[in-house]
Amino acid sequence: MNFEAVIGLEIHVEMKTKSKMFSHSLNSYSKLPNTNTTEYDFAFPGTMPTVNKQAVINAIRVCNALHMRIDHELWFDRKNYFYSDLPKGFQITQQARPIGSNGYVILDVNDEKVKVNIERLHIEEDTCKQLHLRDCTLLDYNRAGVPLIEIVSKPEIKNGTEAMKYVEKIRDIVIYSGVSDGKMEEGSLRCDVNVSIRPCGSDKFGTKVEIKNLNSTSNIQKAIDYEIKRQSNLLLKGEAIQQETRRYDEMKKETVLMRVKTDAVDYKYFTEPNIIPILLSDEFIFEAIDTCPELYDQKLTRYTSELNLSKYDAEVILANIENCKYFEEIIKNTNQYKLASNWLTVDIQSYLNKNNQSIKDFKISPKDIAILIEAISSNKISSKQAKEIFNKALNENGVIADLIKNSSNNLISDEGELLKLINETLDNNPQSIVDFKNGKDRAIGFLVGQIMKKTQGKANPSLTSKLLKQEIDKR
Amino acid sequence: MNYLDLGIIDIHNALLEGKTTPLELTKEALKRAKEDDHNAFEYICEKEAIEFAKTLTKINENKDNYLYGIPYTLKDNYSTKDIPTTASSNILNGYVPVFDATIVEKLKNKGAVLIGKTTLDELAMGGSGTTGHKGTTYNPYDKNKERLCGGSSCGSAVSVANNIVPFSIGSDTGDSVRKPASFNGLVGFKPTWGKISRYGLFPFAPSLDHVAYFTRNVEDSAIILQALEGRDVKDSTSFDIENKNYLNNLSNYNLKDCKIVILKEVYDSMSDKDVVLKFDKLINELKNKGAKVEFVEFGKDLLEAIFPVYFVISCAEAGSNNANLDGIKFGQRIDGNTYQEVMINSRTAGFSELIKRRFVIGSYVLMKENQNELFLRAQKARRLIVERLNEVMKDYDLLLLPASPSIAPKFKDSSDKVNFDYLIADNHLALENFSGIPSLTIPLGFKFDMPYGINISSNILQEEKLLGFAREIEKITGLKNLSIKNFKELEKEAL
Amino acid sequence: MKKVDIETLKDASLRLMFKMSDKEYETLLDEFDILFKQMEKIGEIKGVDDAIPMTFPFNIKTTYLREDIPSKSLDINVALKNAPSVQDGQIKLPKVVK
Repeated sequence: MNFEAVIGLEIHVEMKTKSKMFSHSLNSYSKLPNTNTTEYDFAFPGTMPTVNKQAVINAIRVCNALHMRIDHELWFDRKNYFYSDLPKGFQITQQARPIGSNGYVILDVNDEKVKVNIERLHIEEDTCKQLHLRDCTLLDYNRAGVPLIEIVSKPEIKNGTEAMKYVEKIRDIVIYSGVSDGKMEEGSLRCDVNVSIRPCGSDKFGTKVEIKNLNSTSNIQKAIDYEIKRQSNLLLKGEAIQQETRRYDEMKKETVLMRVKTDAVDYKYFTEPNIIPILLSDEFIFEAIDTCPELYDQKLTRYTSELNLSKYDAEVILANIENCKYFEEIIKNTNQYKLASNWLTVDIQSYLNKNNQSIKDFKISPKDIAILIEAISSNKISSKQAKEIFNKALNENGVIADLIKNSSNNLISDEGELLKLINETLDNNPQSIVDFKNGKDRAIGFLVGQIMKKTQGKANPSLTSKLLKQEIDKR
Repeated sequence: MNYLDLGIIDIHNALLEGKTTPLELTKEALKRAKEDDHNAFEYICEKEAIEFAKTLTKINENKDNYLYGIPYTLKDNYSTKDIPTTASSNILNGYVPVFDATIVEKLKNKGAVLIGKTTLDELAMGGSGTTGHKGTTYNPYDKNKERLCGGSSCGSAVSVANNIVPFSIGSDTGDSVRKPASFNGLVGFKPTWGKISRYGLFPFAPSLDHVAYFTRNVEDSAIILQALEGRDVKDSTSFDIENKNYLNNLSNYNLKDCKIVILKEVYDSMSDKDVVLKFDKLINELKNKGAKVEFVEFGKDLLEAIFPVYFVISCAEAGSNNANLDGIKFGQRIDGNTYQEVMINSRTAGFSELIKRRFVIGSYVLMKENQNELFLRAQKARRLIVERLNEVMKDYDLLLLPASPSIAPKFKDSSDKVNFDYLIADNHLALENFSGIPSLTIPLGFKFDMPYGINISSNILQEEKLLGFAREIEKITGLKNLSIKNFKELEKEAL
Repeated sequence: MKKVDIETLKDASLRLMFKMSDKEYETLLDEFDILFKQMEKIGEIKGVDDAIPMTFPFNIKTTYLREDIPSKSLDINVALKNAPSVQDGQIKLPKVVK
């Protein structure tokens, strides 16, 4: 029997607003425990929620990127349950009226377009962080009340690859819209997966298994594909699938049981009575969308169509938003987009890789890289010299502009000297002259290369090729 | 020293004339508080009050600030920085808040002196004044201590009726200020929902909770409203509409322009003949002064729905609001081997059985399988009741009703178990919580030397009009500045 | 009419994180009995099924949203002064088993 999988994803995204969702405490990750708090975060009696404007703007931007219907009234609900990390004994969320509903994304999966529909996007608040020690648990309320958006897909995803692409798509959106760091490994983007399988063509749903604690997109893929296999094997053996929560074990490369789900928890939702409905005007929503930073897909289109970069190059740049920001800074000062792309993705990236650094640590400013690129394209320096300058700037803290000046001063631009070199080269390579006259333009390149070799790259490249052509014509 | 027996304006004038000082008033209020034998106080802030009163040396720069140097008490369900606050529940034993409620901040800035935190029914969830963790609070009018004080703002009512302070802040979710005001011969006022910030009020049921307070006359009520009203960015539900001229504008209202409606079913359910007699007398007097007084049938089914609807909504919200009381972050923790045990032990020991039953009911009505027939049905009925009330009120200035069917009942005749064999006349005050409209109780008369009051309400945000007419009615009843010290004299001159 | 049994109520109270004496559950059964009757009666009020549930006392809406400006944190010693058990600047609990 053949089975098909029914997969739904719930993604929680921590927003990087300045203050928290319902309180004005600082929203920041890396501080000492319990140093970014206000009375609301500890649920001291009498505290009340106030809704963060930027969090709402962020949610609108993501809704828009996901083609969702945006509710013009904000309503919040209480989700009531007890847990050690839940200060108030309830979480404020949007159960009945999520800010976003009925959206979709289009994924590129193996050169095919796959549409995944999205059920809802809602705003809520995070719980406090638990540090589990050997014999106790410690609670840090810095994270309590951090703004979250939860994005719930329709159960329409069919396999691990689609799921991975879906999460990558959402991640790109939240990162490029400035809503979140989107770092799965740090928990600022968290993903719960529901997997069930059923015989192909059936319209009934199978028993749902939840997979939690997935810390990378590739693990999402692996976990789902493993889980589909596991469930298929169970059904083929005639065994029932339990409703349970599993996690992915990276070492074993398999999902392992965390707990069997007994009855579903009843969260006893009701409307939050301390937040009166908030009207979102058309102007407010338009403004939020209009001022949204350029998204991944928009940049990809611009890079390929306006900057004439290959899709591959564009994707390499966009794979990291910091690299992308650096790239955009370079091209403010040069329109040599291809060169800028090459320098970033090859030279700079390999330096960073070698030194285990990120672009944020990189010493040379994008403006200097642009100056270097301009020097190459105007033939002031050769590529080889450019690379030397690049290394000198990094290793000896040289100033790019000065290094270029020195290098172009070192260039052999004396016509007499160059002519002597050219004629020597031509004498030694009669075949190249014949080739050139027969229309093989490549021959020029070969000859220039020979001259560069002799001068260790110091021959002025544009002058050299100009004189070279003159001399060939004379012969 | 008997300045504390006066209303706020007279005390203020005495301060201005140098006859007394904030420190002297404070010391006298503290002395009276310590002599209290009705169980009115959770905590008397002696040190804090004296320290603060000593800083109040600039009465001459506060000529228009009536609250400067005036002692007051506060129900122990308002957050007070560095002053213990328990909401009369064991689960909050030892809790010392780290912030002031907005109203506490406002009163502090005005120079009003907090002299004590008053007892309440546990977590404000009760109406008898008997369920706080310190036990029964007694009605100061009843020397035999056989009758209820009423609640939940019981200690606040005692502290004003007993002339310890001229005003006290309570809270009103169903009738928790306006009912005890009736039983203690006081003015009890609950302005429009959202008029006064609730930030720092321990929530019982936020959709019904109101900051409310006791005074001994209507003018003082106007003064307090001016001090407390206004937008608070910490309370998203607060209004940004302010008036600030309630006191000056009181005299703009004349009963000959007043259209008053009485709900016929409520009137008909009044069973105490003496109270009815006095109520009729008032109606006649109002008519004599030119007011138009009419009876309207509200709909008995809706009026009978008030208590169950109130009960379902308030229990549901209460269970959620008090889920933060788990022994983890503050309050009384009873240890255990797991976090669940910590919570269960703390909450089992921390709440009375009555409170637990209310939470179970609140939780049950919210369960998925019960919501439609219980919680949502109650919310729907609330809407019908409010719509009917607005319809009735739209042609009138005031709604006039008894604040209680009679004087405070005896302990032996009251129970905290759910009992719906009630009189409409005993439960209608939640109408004004459902609809959020301003509502005020003032004393009407006495029986067996125990007071009872009437309740008047107006449409939302019509506080000025309500206070203006209330003062006219106060003139008719003759019971201004009533307290246990003077009631026998006032009664002689009264209506 | 709705019916409720003691087991449901015991489960409900444990989910609310407290225990009650058996006597209290008996009292609760009586209270629920009265409540169900009342709520059934309310269900018969004309128009109640079609009414929109009411949370806020009147029709009120706002456009106010709080500006995203952080304020000073509570001092950690102040924030934790009410916590019954503290270790390393954090509130301490018995180990939470996930």
